[in-house]
Amino acid sequence: MTAAAGGGLAGYALRRLLLAVPVLFGVSLLVFGVMHLAPGDPAAIMLGAQATREDVERLRRDLGLDQPLVVQYGRWLGRVARGDLGRSIPLGREVLPEVLLRFRATLILTGGALVVAVSVGVVAGVLSATRQHTWIDKLSMGLAVTGVSLPVFWTGIMLILVFSLWLRWFPSAGMASPYGSGPLDVLWHLTLPALTLGTASAAALARMTRSSVLEIVRQDYVRSARAKGLAEGAVIVRHVLKNAVNPIVTVLGIQVGFLLGGAILTETVFSWPGLGSMMVRAIQARDYPLVQGGVLLIAATFVVVNLVVDLLYAVFDPRIGYE
Amino acid sequence: MSRWTGITVAVVMLLILASGSAAAPPKDAIVVGLVAEPVTMDPPQITDLNSTRVIKRIFEGLTAQELGTYKIVPGLAKSWEISRDGLTYTFRLRDNVRFHDGTPLTAEAVKFCFDRQLNEQGPYYKTGTYPYVKGFLGNVAGVQAVDPSTVRITLKSPLTPFLQYLAHHSLYVYSPEALKKHGKDIVKHPVGTGAFKLETWEPGVKVVLARNDQYWGGAPKIRQAIYVPIIEAQARLAAITTGEIDLTMDVPPDSLDRLRQDPNVVVAETNSSAVWYVTLNTRHPILKDRRVRQALNYAVNKEAIIRDILRGTAITAHSPMSPVYGPFYEPQVARYPYDPDRARALLREAGHPGGFELTFLVPESGSGMQSPVEMGTVIQANLAAVGVRAKIQTLEWGAYLKKYLEGPDMAQMSWNPSIGDPDHMMYMLLSSDRFPPAFNAGFFQHARVDDLLRRGRTTIDDKARIPLYREAQKIVAEEAPWIFVDHGKQVIIHRKRVQGFTLHPNFDLVLTPVSLQ
Repeated sequence: MTAAAGGGLAGYALRRLLLAVPVLFGVSLLVFGVMHLAPGDPAAIMLGAQATREDVERLRRDLGLDQPLVVQYGRWLGRVARGDLGRSIPLGREVLPEVLLRFRATLILTGGALVVAVSVGVVAGVLSATRQHTWIDKLSMGLAVTGVSLPVFWTGIMLILVFSLWLRWFPSAGMASPYGSGPLDVLWHLTLPALTLGTASAAALARMTRSSVLEIVRQDYVRSARAKGLAEGAVIVRHVLKNAVNPIVTVLGIQVGFLLGGAILTETVFSWPGLGSMMVRAIQARDYPLVQGGVLLIAATFVVVNLVVDLLYAVFDPRIGYE
Repeated sequence: MSRWTGITVAVVMLLILASGSAAAPPKDAIVVGLVAEPVTMDPPQITDLNSTRVIKRIFEGLTAQELGTYKIVPGLAKSWEISRDGLTYTFRLRDNVRFHDGTPLTAEAVKFCFDRQLNEQGPYYKTGTYPYVKGFLGNVAGVQAVDPSTVRITLKSPLTPFLQYLAHHSLYVYSPEALKKHGKDIVKHPVGTGAFKLETWEPGVKVVLARNDQYWGGAPKIRQAIYVPIIEAQARLAAITTGEIDLTMDVPPDSLDRLRQDPNVVVAETNSSAVWYVTLNTRHPILKDRRVRQALNYAVNKEAIIRDILRGTAITAHSPMSPVYGPFYEPQVARYPYDPDRARALLREAGHPGGFELTFLVPESGSGMQSPVEMGTVIQANLAAVGVRAKIQTLEWGAYLKKYLEGPDMAQMSWNPSIGDPDHMMYMLLSSDRFPPAFNAGFFQHARVDDLLRRGRTTIDDKARIPLYREAQKIVAEEAPWIFVDHGKQVIIHRKRVQGFTLHPNFDLVLTPVSLQ
């Protein structure tokens, strides 16, 4: 497990990043194929019923859609290689700044959901593991099963109903107030969407934490730690959690992917100005450049998150090395 | 530790809640909850309703529609003359009108805007895509700046709806200097002459327009118009109920009764020119028989659809045109009240006593399509009751539009004309000049109707046009090329504090006369 010469953490990371190139190439081919082979024509959708045949054909020509698919793909890929994702068809704006701006909102939402997932999930998991078979355990695992089963759009609408419409504590839509804004305003708007999106992940994390902690808590060294008179809190945090953390991180890594996917629904329910709600609209409009650029960005994020998770193992478990 | 965590969480929550309650609506800014944010702010590139609802505050055309009707009134042109042959239109521009960037409105500016779209070799042609060129400018032979305040437009052939075309957003006038400066990025830098100008646009978050104090028609009463996109109908309902927004549309129809009881909001509704129908393929071996098409019209219970699915937000359609068209509307047409026995009798007469089978295209959702799946299911059940087995095929909107133009047996469609001329309804949908890929998807062809509609678009005198369209409606109702279902109402919900709001038939949200309490 020792690091080979020229290898080590940096070398490993570099190799993984290089491997991402064929992955992203495959993704580009796939998303291009799926978008262009799906029935529907961006020019016809944009113009709607009121256009003449000449209008549609002229717009298709303006957009370069009259070229063979191979030529269109080649042109697009060539531009992507130069860092130019093109211009959105209906928006007329450059794809990259547009996608990055929306991605920031998605990251805020995903971050908020992660905070909910980790704080609720890990605490609930530890509580039920340390109090196995008590009512606390049964309650939190019951809630976890419910949480995993609830669809995001349902949770979202219920939260809007209770906390926006009845109690009027939180806004029902958007990321900022129409007038005036600031970090607190964003937090205020973030609360319900983050709860919605984080709930299912919290439930999944709680179940993983529980089983992982249960496995560790029966080990001899935990008994020794208790025997030497350590407080229960210290035993759990320092000895149990630290060793139970790797499977939890794995699940967390998977959950980040799930959150980015689930964000699409949450963003639609709460009109959150993120990548997800933008992509839904872009797909409906067959906005090829925007969908392709957005998917590439999401795929790249997945690659990076996976890499980070793999690197984190070594941080939590020094026995793991990379070559 | 857990106690401190608890206290910290509580303090943060309180702060967050407090920050929310601090955001009270300002006295002179209206917040409008749109179904989606504007797509682009370059008038000739706009193809969607949400964008027009915003940019019509910023830009104007040579002509305009009188608020609340389709009547053409002066816009940036204070007057015009039409030559006797209907080919030359001479417009006098208003004096002392300036764009928001301070440059003056001139005949050259008008010519610049039209030439940008018309002249493919022009220097600014490549700054955009122009969806409506053929439709609205295709008949224009040339634009001439006679003097700084006179524009002359020459047509290739007489076309009466042209004055209405000039009130369409794709022919609005914008600052040439702004286009020269921003190029392709003009889509986010609108510079017009309207009562409001763009202040900020945070994509996905909000569009803020500020009052144009130099507006030629007098500055509006409200200082700011803020547009926020709220995608979910349920969320729009919540936001208007709590007062987060002042005005919105398209809330779930089920909630309308409750909203009407709410003392804090006003439900404003009016008939529109939109029509929702089922196209019947008149080339289909069975549907080509007029009696069969009439039978299908008798078989469908439109009143039940309007009452139970649309919750009263529509009126029954008897022909393509709704009463909104005023003198052009013909009420005395053949009608098809719900009558399954009559439908069965007609089918027997046509030689189909045992009924027959059809494919029925239904979109999952779509622009102006109301509740397509629910409505399709009711229509299917109604048809089954008279022996017609309609097999529903459901498609996503983008795929649907393509399939719609490939000659389906029967298919749902709705039409919400963007200009107020009857030509834009009747000719566009029912003339044999408009077979697919244009939108006469049922291949309806009737020599007399074709003649009436062609004459209608070239006759200059409005009074002489009226009988042409009224006769065309009578024939179309009798021929039943569609199942006529409903004309959707325009429903806008606003808070009580919004005063002086008037609905406009083309679904625009006009803010100039609005004040806030």
